[in-house]
Parts: sequence; structure tokens; C-alpha cells
Amino acid sequence: MASLAEATTRSEAAERPRVRPLIATLPAVAWLLAFFATPLVIFAVYSLLTNQLYAVGTPFTLDAYRDALTSTLNRTLARNSLEVGLSTAAVTVIVGLPIAYWLRFVAQRSRIAVLFLIAASMFASYLVRIYAWRTVLGSRGLINSALDRAGLIDQPLGFLLYSRFAVVVALVHIFLPYVVLVLYAGMGPLGDGLLEAAQDLGAKSSLLWRRVIVPIMAAPAFSAFVFVFILSAADYVTPQFLGGRDGVTLGVQIQQNFIGVGNWPLAAATSFLMLLAFVAVFAVGSFILRRLKLSDIRLSS
Amino acid sequence: MQGRRAPVPTAITIGALLFLFVPLAIVVLFSFNSTGSLTFPFAGFSTRWYRQIIESAAFRDAVVNSAFVGGVVAVTTLMLGTLAAYGLTRASTKLRTPIAVLLFLPLTLPGLFLGLSLLVLFSRVEVNLSLGTVMIAHMVYVLPYYLLIAVAALQRLDPALEEAGADLGANTWLVFRRVTLPQVWPVLLAASLLAFALSFDEFIITFFVIGADSTLPLFIFSTLRRTVDPSVNAISSLLLVITLALFAIAFVLTLRGSKTAGLSIDAEPIGGTAR
Repeated sequence: MASLAEATTRSEAAERPRVRPLIATLPAVAWLLAFFATPLVIFAVYSLLTNQLYAVGTPFTLDAYRDALTSTLNRTLARNSLEVGLSTAAVTVIVGLPIAYWLRFVAQRSRIAVLFLIAASMFASYLVRIYAWRTVLGSRGLINSALDRAGLIDQPLGFLLYSRFAVVVALVHIFLPYVVLVLYAGMGPLGDGLLEAAQDLGAKSSLLWRRVIVPIMAAPAFSAFVFVFILSAADYVTPQFLGGRDGVTLGVQIQQNFIGVGNWPLAAATSFLMLLAFVAVFAVGSFILRRLKLSDIRLSS
Repeated sequence: MQGRRAPVPTAITIGALLFLFVPLAIVVLFSFNSTGSLTFPFAGFSTRWYRQIIESAAFRDAVVNSAFVGGVVAVTTLMLGTLAAYGLTRASTKLRTPIAVLLFLPLTLPGLFLGLSLLVLFSRVEVNLSLGTVMIAHMVYVLPYYLLIAVAALQRLDPALEEAGADLGANTWLVFRRVTLPQVWPVLLAASLLAFALSFDEFIITFFVIGADSTLPLFIFSTLRRTVDPSVNAISSLLLVITLALFAIAFVLTLRGSKTAGLSIDAEPIGGTAR
């Protein structure tokens, strides 16, 4: 019935494009032009200005970009951001796939309950989660005290907290629910019949994953991966509380440059270089997906 | 196909649920600890940390500010977002695509850059930072999330009903109010509750555009920065309860909403049909 309705809408659309309803989008469009697009343009202009004491001014220059690219500190921090982003994205997608599979094909009555819990945890406060991991991973936190009581360690494991490991754990905690929901939605085209057919033809479960599930899930998994990579690589709060010295990222550096007497053009240039890197990751990923012919797999049930 | 045995995915799902909820449960548990110690073993039950924070004027101000900002953001997002979702789903022209891209683009921009670019804008046009600038920023951040839900809800409707209304001579506004809205209002209300929850908990962007005022997340941030203060557990637990309660109400409304629209959530999970 839904497809029938869709078909009638489409045939009508072919006759006469409906433009008038777009008027309703104007207030939202105006809002985003004023407070999303315009600020980004001004921000871009700042990256081209010269830093002065307590101010920025002309002449226009690419100095900020040169400084951002040549700074060895920036390079170390960029590597940290990259590692944090890639690890978080990889872990969430690898763990998220079997959960989405469970929700789609294994769960029966518990599906709604588990979907509810996962979506609810998405709304659990961001700062509280970072704080919770400080409590769990701390030198006298849940893990260390349990290991101690079990007699497995003599002194607390220091690497648990104030490390890149702690940052990735907290970021996985923050982004896993999004990834599960995106992947679960992406499992729509995997009809029951398709899996049954593959099994009837004798496919073992490893073959089923390799030849059926993974190819169909490649595109949604990639979008989830990029989304998590961008948001976790640019996170500036988690590294401050959990990262220690090794876990500082480029985001923290950009934030520090904007509070107090900072170098705004340098921070703006660093921000745009980061955005450029994100676009590059996205472009390279889409290119690979297309080369592997995984991006256009469509199944009708 | 349903109920196939799959020990590995089942184990991973259970493990993930524990991973997601045990750390939060620990925070709530320690909020009732009778000593200030944040380490195991748990000393004893007490509500002293809750009494301590409720007596703090700074805490109460922060809660009031957060609720005020969240309320304004939820109501304005409900209006702007519903209009935009209606326009996007009822238009059929090539212009639709660039408008949709603009409306959803803020989802992909990290909050750090959104906050910084707004800070630069406000300093350029010499607007003093206040709760007003926080509301402006939150509306940019929250709108795409609202649209995701509202567009999906409006797309599910049977267009034949609206066409019938129009054929019977009702104008666009009347059709919207009498045909469209009665089918989707629970979902739209749910989406604006989630908008409130997102705003209530927002820190990353708020940090840059708030000025001298405080909101609940900012209050938590500065407490965390200062020292290990055991009352953070009580504040955190309250924030968790508020956002999770909002989510639970929104979830129930969405379930009801899909029944209003003649669909059962069981037959139509996000991905498609299951049985």
C-alpha cells in the first residue's frame, strides 16, 4: 500500500512539480543561512587574517595555514586525533554490526525493549558519561579495585585512566548507540527470504556474513564510520578529562586558542584544515566503496 | 527465520548493554553513598549529596537557566521544524535537494566548529553573549534532529487522505490542521521533547557562546574541573533522570503516534518489516 501511494505521488510529480510547499521551509532556511552558513563564512575569513594583540586584522594572508601545517605540536596532536577517531569509529562499527543483526534477526519479544534501552542511552548526558568513565577507570575505581581484590594486581593499572585508551572507551560509549540504530535501519533490505535462501543453498554462517551481510551493510556501515570518525576526532571535552598527556587532541588545542588571549586566525586555520581532512577521509572511503562496487547494492524484498 | 540461535551476536548485545549502563548505574549508586569516597566498597545509604546540591543557589540557577533555554528551543524548533518538514515532504521539485542538504548539514559539523564560528559571528557583530545566544546556537544544533523524526513521520502518511481533503475544497492550512496534524501530533510532540532534552544537555557548543551565565552542563563541567566533589554524582544522577524521563515519554508518544497513523511499531521497525 505504501508503494502504491508512492507510485501515485511520483506519477503526479512527473506531471506537475509542486514548488509552493517549499515556502514552508523558508523560516528554517533563513535561520540556518543566518546562524550556520554565515558564521562559517566569517570563520573562514578569520583564518585568512593576521593575528594582533587582542584583535585580528588585515592584511589577508595564508600565514595561519602555514603556521598550522608546520607546527610539530599540531602534527602530534593531529595524529592523536586521527588515532582516537579511527579507533572509536572502527570499534563502534565492528561491535555495532552483530548488535544490529541480533535486533533484526534474533530478537523476538525483547526487540522493542532493547531498542528502547539503546536509544535511551543515546540521551544519557554526555558529560555524565565522561565522568562515569573517570570513576570506573580511576586508580581506585571499579576495575582496579576488582582486580586488586581478586589478587591479580599489586598496584593500580595506570594506563586505564589518563590515556588514549580511556578517551576511546568513553567515546565508544557515547557513539555506539547511534551506530547500532543506523546499522539496524540499514538492515531493512536484508529480507528474511534472502538469508533463508543463502542457508538453503548450504551457506555456512561465515560465508553468509562475508557474501551477503557485509556487502549489503557496507554503505550504511561506511556512513556510520564517517559520522563517528568526524565527531570523535573533533571532540575536545573527553580528552581533557580522560586523556592525560598522551591523549590531548587537536580539538583541545583549537579550543585553548579560542579562550583567553589566543591566536584566532591560527585556530580557525587549524579548524579548516581539520574539516578538509574529514572531507578527504569521506572522499577516499566513497572511492574505495565504489571500486569494490559495494555502494550501489540495492535489493528489493 | 525469527528466533534463530546466534550465541555470538546475543553475547555481544548483552555485553554492550552492560557496557552502556553499568558505568551510569555506578554514578547513581555513589550519589547515595554516605561518605565522600568515590571508591569501592560502598559505605552506606544517604541522601546528603542531594540535600547539599538543592541548597546550592548556583545549582538552582543553572537548572532554571537550562530549563528556560530548553523550553524556548523546543517551542521554536517545533514551529520552524514542522513547517520545514511539511515543505520538504510535500514539495516535488529539484529545489528540494539543496534545501534538504542545508537543513541536514549541521548534523555533520562537529560542535566545536559550530560553537567557534558562532562565537566569531557574535564577537564580529558585537552581540553580548547570554542565554539568548545559547538559544540561537541550540536551535541550529537541534533542528536537523527534529527534522529527521518529523520528516519520517510526515512521509509515512497516506497522501490520499490529504488529497481527498483538498478535493473536498479545504485549503492547505485547513488540510494540514484537520487531516495531517491529527495523524502526526504525538510524534511531533515527542520530537520537540527530544529537542528539549538535547538542548538541556548540550555542552560542546554552549561552552563558547554562553558568557557569564551558567547552565546545568556548564555547572557540572566547572565542578568536574575544580576538584573531586562527591555531589557531582547527585547532580549527574538528576541530569540522567531528567533526560531519560523525557526520552521515555517521547518513546511512548512515538509508539502511540504510529498507532494513530494506522501502523503498528511491531510490523514496521525502522528498517522494514520483520515478520
